[in-house]
Parts: sequence; structure tokens; C-alpha cells
Amino acid sequence: MARTDLLKGVGVFAVVVVVIVAATVATGTLLSDSSTDASVDAPAYDDQLLPTAVDDGGSVGTPEGDATKTVVIDKSHGNALSESEMQPLVDALVRDGHNVRFYTGGSGGTGGFSGGISSGSSGLNATLRSADAFVVANPASTYTAGEINGIDAFAEAGGRVLMLADPVNPSSGGQSISIPNPLGGTTGSTVTPGQPTNLAANFGVSFGAGYLFDMTDNANNFQRIYAQPSGDSSLTEGVDRLVFDDATPLATSSDSTAVVESQDAQLSSTRRGSTYTVAAKTGNVVTVGDTNFLEPASATVADNDVFLTNLADFLVSGDKEPGAPEAAGPSTGTGSGSGGFGGPPQPGTTPTVPGNDTSFPTGNGTSP
Amino acid sequence: MNRDPGLLDRLGGPVVVFAVVGLLVGAALVPYAWGASTGPDGTVAVVEMHGTITGDTAAAAMADLREARQNDSIEAVVLDVNSPGGLASASEQLYLAVKQTSEQLPVVVAVTGTAASGSYYMSAPADKIFVTPASTVGSIGVRAVVPPQGAPDNQITTGPDKTTTATQSEARRRVETLRRAFVGSVVAERDLNISASELSYAKVYSGTRGIQVGLADEIGGLGAAVDEAAERASLSDYETVRMESPTPSPLSRIGLNATGATTEATFEYTGVDTTQYLMLHGQLNTPDTAAQIEVRTNGTN
Repeated sequence: MARTDLLKGVGVFAVVVVVIVAATVATGTLLSDSSTDASVDAPAYDDQLLPTAVDDGGSVGTPEGDATKTVVIDKSHGNALSESEMQPLVDALVRDGHNVRFYTGGSGGTGGFSGGISSGSSGLNATLRSADAFVVANPASTYTAGEINGIDAFAEAGGRVLMLADPVNPSSGGQSISIPNPLGGTTGSTVTPGQPTNLAANFGVSFGAGYLFDMTDNANNFQRIYAQPSGDSSLTEGVDRLVFDDATPLATSSDSTAVVESQDAQLSSTRRGSTYTVAAKTGNVVTVGDTNFLEPASATVADNDVFLTNLADFLVSGDKEPGAPEAAGPSTGTGSGSGGFGGPPQPGTTPTVPGNDTSFPTGNGTSP
Repeated sequence: MNRDPGLLDRLGGPVVVFAVVGLLVGAALVPYAWGASTGPDGTVAVVEMHGTITGDTAAAAMADLREARQNDSIEAVVLDVNSPGGLASASEQLYLAVKQTSEQLPVVVAVTGTAASGSYYMSAPADKIFVTPASTVGSIGVRAVVPPQGAPDNQITTGPDKTTTATQSEARRRVETLRRAFVGSVVAERDLNISASELSYAKVYSGTRGIQVGLADEIGGLGAAVDEAAERASLSDYETVRMESPTPSPLSRIGLNATGATTEATFEYTGVDTTQYLMLHGQLNTPDTAAQIEVRTNGTN
């Protein structure tokens, strides 16, 4: 009797346990959300995200010139553009057999304070006398009146001048400009790239403040703008589209003609959209508001290589009278330039001319 | 028939005994009944995103969001955002996590300081964004340090881009890709009053101006955001649980240090990864190689 009761009790217990467990499993299965973490779609990630690379298949050609010309690249004003950065241009000139020289000055750069006006102009002018083209890029210091007069006479006489400058960074502009110390051996000094403002003004060109950008139609970055030829110029022959990085606009006088312009860009300082001139030509002087297109990484992008070849061609296709600028030219009578030739010339510090031109005048320190 | 009165009878009969037992059982159930009648209908979880977005802080916030999605008592999420952004990859992860959460629960953002760049990225898919006039939103953009050029010194590498990570044009295209994803996502998530290209200027807007351009919805603080989240979850009676970001371990400093309060402290490059893609608002202390060039006295450099 007691045994049957016990068995009955155990049976009931087992049934109850089974029912409870089964009910729990069933309820859990019914109630649980099978997809708690469904994947999400990011709508923008389905679009065309990868930008297309700008065509980079070009190569800088060789300028077509008969005579061997001498191209002087200024390095004496703390020019913040290294030789490696302008290698494509130098290579193109050298390939065609032209002489490329870097003018490093050294004639009394530290004596500028005592002489009032830097006495380095005589050295530059002496160098220009034997040159056919002169390249200025991103100078950190200003050009003296004597130097400007010399470069002016140089261009008057048929010498080709190429001026390039990037936008000046407003946070660093106007200060921390230091000129390489000629006595300091190999220690380096930091220079801030600047613009040849007074030199460009002499030729009726003014570099702008701020950089150009384009938010919609650009070469994969808003600062890399597209630019097109403006009018017909030999400088833009064969050019359809150029890419400039961090370019500055040019304001030009009526004597100048715009060569390259960017049509839908905006200027960072004013945020105005307009057609901005990026390259201009004034007689024998070409001004470009960008230096990055000279660099090896940018020189072959889009039609930059064609433009660079044309620029090299422009530099060596001049027909300069020998001997200009003269030592104490008549154009120095502008008052401020009267003291420009005071220092002792040290032409020995300039690179050697591979001599197809006039010899170095060693006694041109004719003070008025 | 006559039996001695048993224990039962002496206690007042079965009725009384059952009454007492019932009283005890009832009393034991009182807390549950009280709780059921007066307790909250659900929980609003407040998830913090403070400081720069790094792999660690993003992982913590994403864990909080996962908890909110999986915990049935959490009915709505409020994001307490005060961050200048941070790593691009971590910001994208957060964006996807918040978007996933907002598809299951109401998600409301309270900008308690700054929701700029990467931290706005994660705020964009929320149902509503509260700001104050002085809080800031925006900075929809990407930045990267220019990859170094040239051969690596004192190292042997198996390829030219092993140390530099990419050429400059490749890095530029990568930044452009991230910009398109970022701007496109914000445009898709928000009903903006400005164009995508205007958004790409990456301006930082005040809260008031943010409402005007469509990057934010309403003026209000954290309380307003919690109320809004509860309302969207139909909770008349709710409790708030704050899920604070855990302090990252010192071991996490290998890549990026998440403990620094300032961006300079956080993103001071130690050379482990030379090119970081950042969705970060503020000034970066990076070597300015573009603006300053060493020039030696002989003019060559």
C-alpha cells in the first residue's frame, strides 16, 4: 500500500518536471527574438565611393631650341623650392643641352643692414648678364631695388623671366623669415616661402592672398583645382586641362595677358567664386601662381607635362642681347635704387658659367 | 464520534489556518504586486561618448549599444555626445552601431558639448538631436597626415610603401573616399537645408545654427533628450540608467592613447602608424613639412 503510494508520488513528480521543462522551452522558443542583431545598411556606402584617379600618363618633353641657353634659377633669396622639387623642369632643360645654374648669391647677404640696401644686387646682375633666362620661385626675402632694376633691364633686353609663387600662409607670413647664413657652414635654417611681391609688381602682376579651391569639380581634393588655357598662347599649346595644387590667383595689369585660368574656383580669403588667372604673361615675363605643378609627382598629371614643356621652351627661346643688364644702367635713377650697387662684388661665389657668354665683370662696383 | 479537539481545532479551525497561510503568502507577494503597479514600464539607457573616439572608447560605446539592443528592459537610448571625433574607422563603426540600434529602439542624441566630425557621424542616424546654443555640431570632413616620402632610414623594408603606407595621390584619393562616405551618410540620414558640397566645407556650427542648417533638431539638454526618448518608446513611467564609458586600460596605448583629454595628447604620433585617417575636429600637432623647408647655406636642399 505505502509502496504504491510512493510510486504514484514519484510518477506525478516526474510528469510535473517534464511538463514544466517542456513548457519553458516552448515559451522561450516562441518568445525569443531570433534576429536581435540584424545587419544594417549604410545608404551612402553603396554609392560610388572610390574616386577616379586623374590621368597621370604624360611625360615632360624637351624644349625645341637651337642655341644653347643659360637658365639661372634664383636660390639667393631663401627660395623655398628645392632642386628636387623642380627636377622635371631642370631635366627638360638639361636634356636639350642648356645650362641650368642655381644662383646662390653669397655676396654680402649679411651686410644688408649696414648698407641700407642689400649689396647683393651686383652679384645677381653680374650673373644675369651671362644668362638667357631667370627663374624665381617662392622667395622668402624681398628683392632690392637694384635687383629689380637689373631684372627689369634683363627682361627688356630679351631675357626670359619666370616667376612662381604659392599662397603665403597667413599664420606664418611676415615673420620667421631667415636668410641662409653664408658663414654658417652646412647648418640649415628654416625659411618661410614667400612671394616676389615687389618684383612681380614691377611687371604689372600681383600675387593673391589665399589659395584657390573648388568643392565640386576637382582632382580628388578641393585644393587641387582644374585650370584651362585662356586664349591662344604658345605656352598653352596642346594643353586641355591642368591641375594645380594650392594655387594662388594673379591680378594683372592691362599689359599682361592671362594664359591659364580656373573658371569655377573660389578664393579662400574671400570665398568668392570667379574666373581666376593662375598664369599670366607680360612680354618676356611669365608669372604662375603655383609651384606644385613643377614637382615630379604633379608634373605628369593631366596636361601639366605639356605646360611644363612649353614653359621650358619659353625659357630657352628668347633672344637676349648680350651684356644686359648693364652694370650701372640708366634705369637705376629712381631714387631708391641709387644705392643699390654699393657692395663689393664677389662673383667668385656664383656658379661658374660654362662660358658661351660674356665674361664676368669684376669691377662693376661703380657707386654713384 | 466525539473526538478530542485536535490541534487544528485548538487553533480556530481550518478556516483560520488557511487565512493565516494566505496572509503570509500574500505578504510575501506584496513587493512584487507593488512593483508591478508602481514600477517603471521600461528603462532609458544613457550611453556616453565623451572624449576622442579611439578604438577603445568606440568599443565601449558599441558594447553599451549592444546591451541596449539585447536587454528587453531597455526601451530607448539617449546618446550623451561630447567629443571632437577621432579615428575614422572607429567613427564608422559607431555610425553603424547607432544606426542598427535606431532601427530597433528610439535613439535620441543630446549634444552636451561638441558633436564634431566623427562624433557627429555617430549622431547622424539618431531619431532626434538636441543641442544647446553653445554646443557645436558639424566638421563633416576627413583628415590625414601627408605620407612621408623617400627611402626609410635605418630600416629594411620589403616595399617602397611599407613605411609610407601610400603615395600622396593614393592617400588623397583615400581621404576623398572617406569624405564621400561621410558626407553621403550625413546627407542620407539628415534632412539638410544645405547642399552636400556646402557640407563638405566641414564647418563647425553652433547649436542654433546647426538647427537652421538641419544638422540638429531642437534646443534642449540631456533631460529633454531622455524625455523625448521615453516618449518615443511610449514610456509614461521609466527609469534612467547611465552606461558610462569604462576607463581604458594602459595596455591600449599601443595604437592610440584614449586617456588623454586633449587631441594633442591623444594623437601625438609615436611613429607606430605614420598615416592616420581621422575624423577629428581641432588642431593637430603635426610636423609642418609643407610650409617649411630646410635650406642649407649652399642653396641646395
